[in-house]
Amino acid sequence: MSDEKDISAFERKTKRVFDESVAGLDAATRSRLTQARYRALEERKSTRSRGWGFTLVPAGTLAATALLAWFMLPQGPADLQVTSVDDLEILLAEEDLEMLGEDLEFYGWLEEQPEFANADDGIG
Amino acid sequence: MGLALSIAERGAGLDREGALDSGAQIEAFLREVEARAYRIAAMNIRDRDEALDIVQDAMIRLVRSYSHRPSEEWRPLFYRILKNRIRDEQRRRTVRSRVLSFFGGTASDEEYDPIAEAPGASSDDPLERATSGDAMQALEQALTELPARQREAFMLRNFEGLDVAQTAVAMGCTEGSVKTHYSRAVHRLREMLAEHGEEQWT
Repeated sequence: MSDEKDISAFERKTKRVFDESVAGLDAATRSRLTQARYRALEERKSTRSRGWGFTLVPAGTLAATALLAWFMLPQGPADLQVTSVDDLEILLAEEDLEMLGEDLEFYGWLEEQPEFANADDGIG
Repeated sequence: MGLALSIAERGAGLDREGALDSGAQIEAFLREVEARAYRIAAMNIRDRDEALDIVQDAMIRLVRSYSHRPSEEWRPLFYRILKNRIRDEQRRRTVRSRVLSFFGGTASDEEYDPIAEAPGASSDDPLERATSGDAMQALEQALTELPARQREAFMLRNFEGLDVAQTAVAMGCTEGSVKTHYSRAVHRLREMLAEHGEEQWT
């Protein structure tokens, strides 16, 4: 029992000695600690603002996209799908690409014809 | 649409209020622990600037990673971060010392203990002298002679007032280990201070 009391007294003593050494910290060290605390709190602010940015930007982008879709596509998504498929078929059709090549030859020939050579001069 | 915006704005407002509240809480917490954390770091590292850097780093890491956690968890988490940073610094010094001793031709096979090798409590640093009384110097010297785990348990339980469960979180061990380390530390410190003729401790 006496030993336990002694141990408790020893623990209280060590605690008090440590507390006194903390209380005796010089002003320069305390100032540095205050600066360190402010830096840590700044980190919190910047983390939070980054967090808000990440939250708000996608939400805003999604809302804007939804609004755009609403106004640009009044006929609904079924029409969009059909149009897209049609466009894709035209773009991928081999014969259409061959026709495009022939047209280019035709436009080249047309430009070389004398009756069309000075056509621009007569305008404006 | 207007209703949705109104609810969102109200939610954001409440969140900002909560953030302000929690910001004030974490500032109060850091203010409360910073000086004590510095003393512990300084006792372990024996370098004022390094100790300040370690405390700042621990505060930043707590804020960055755990400020959203319940405030009652901050203390053990903070001291766990602090303890890890102190150990990192001690390991870095150990490696540096080994490299230096290798190139200096004074390599030793004995395990290097950065705390035991560090300058004693009666440092030439005027700040150290000004903040340490005789009793504290004797206690610091005795602490350097304890095994690292006993020293950690003693500092966290006695100096910081963490309970057994919090100390276990901070040390990353079981509560049983904390009790064992702490009990051994107390008995060993009493013996050492008595042996060294430190009458004020008996």
